[in-house]
Amino acid sequence: MMHVAKLIDTTLCIGCKACEVACQQWNDQEYTLGTFDGSYQTMPDLAPNFWNLIKFNEYERDGKLSWLMAKYQCMHCVAPGCLKACPAPGAIVTLANGTVDFAQENCIGCGYCITGCPFDVPRLSNTTKKVYKCSLCSDRTAVGLEPACIKTCPTNCLTFGERDALLHGAEARAQELRADGHAEAGVYNPAGVGGTHVFYVLANAARPEDYGLPKDPSVPWTVRLWKGPVKWLGTMVLVGGILGTFFHYVRYGPKEAHDVEGD
Amino acid sequence: MSKGTERRIARFSVTERTIHWMAAICFLYAALTGLALWSHKLYWLAWVLGGGSTVRGLHPWGGTFFALVLGFMFRQWASQMGLDSEDKAWLRHAYRYATNEEEGLPEVARFNGGQKMLFWLQSGSTLVLLASGLVLWWPELMPRTLLLAAVLIHPLAAIASIGGIILHIYMGTAAVPGAFRGMIHGWVSPGWAASHHPKWYRAK
Repeated sequence: MMHVAKLIDTTLCIGCKACEVACQQWNDQEYTLGTFDGSYQTMPDLAPNFWNLIKFNEYERDGKLSWLMAKYQCMHCVAPGCLKACPAPGAIVTLANGTVDFAQENCIGCGYCITGCPFDVPRLSNTTKKVYKCSLCSDRTAVGLEPACIKTCPTNCLTFGERDALLHGAEARAQELRADGHAEAGVYNPAGVGGTHVFYVLANAARPEDYGLPKDPSVPWTVRLWKGPVKWLGTMVLVGGILGTFFHYVRYGPKEAHDVEGD
Repeated sequence: MSKGTERRIARFSVTERTIHWMAAICFLYAALTGLALWSHKLYWLAWVLGGGSTVRGLHPWGGTFFALVLGFMFRQWASQMGLDSEDKAWLRHAYRYATNEEEGLPEVARFNGGQKMLFWLQSGSTLVLLASGLVLWWPELMPRTLLLAAVLIHPLAAIASIGGIILHIYMGTAAVPGAFRGMIHGWVSPGWAASHHPKWYRAK
């Protein structure tokens, strides 16, 4: 099956937040009034019932303030850190179309995915004790529909399609921007997580931090060590310990006590 | 005394045994639920123990109780677990103990060097498991750096701890007949005491 992807062309985002509304509406999520902290941003951070947030990153250049608006959501990594860290089989799945979905019925609420995710996306609900994030509208893509946010985007900042073709389009757009004077324009599709199924066109790809995106994200090394060599070590100790003591017994037998004189 | 009931030598008091077995039960629960969450191949343990969410919910409590009981165990035994020069000599020749060629090994008092090492291993690893476990208990509230350290440190300490306990269970049951009775009923035979803990036996 072909892999799908979402392209976010940040240069076309007008901050209308229609995608936030569409996400809440399609996924049937109640909006709980957030904190007002003097920003145009809907709320400070993602929440278990809020999976798609337009970040109004304030950015100052040559004494002028501008917004670098960036959609903040699950990146649907090719090699997801959340999946690597998850202990519950079937709670995090990679679908045939390449997207990453959380199956809450199998989730045990340990929150290891939070540690595994280099983008800080999964959110643990205090009421259900399950984690939630953008599913890329798996219930829509399964029947050939585009995700709700893309359906609603009025500026074509968001596009959905076959991953390779979309990546191609993103590169072409970045080239266009470079020709237009944005020398640092480029595509954000970080290799550290094997690439993503959500990628960005950034006017300044050299500084993704300005958009609230991590520079060179990858699955944390402690998570890789934990799920790699430490796991082998543990298996060795467990299996080696059980077999080792058994065969020690076979070879050397029990330590018999001798009798005491006079007793 | 060779006829009739065998002379009994008190090995462990009721308090010592109660604390030991409370620790054992908590350890077993924490270890089995921990192993269930550690590998997909051992996730069947989660089903046996009430399902994944139950295991995730109760593993931290099992661990906390274990740490609490181990605190009592520490208070009860720490003063007897200091390694003296004879223990160190004993440990240097532990392979001779392991291969049942014990001639020339320093005489052992109430606890041998291996038992003392186990005590300190469990005390240390429990402290580490408790600290890292508290971090993993509330991932949504913890700083990321602490979480990243805890996911690595928690299993490492658990591996050390479980490895030590596998040896401990083997030594306390199959390898040294009579030891288990000492921890269950509280007494051992004179021969057992004289063979395995001669210095302690003579002091009795």
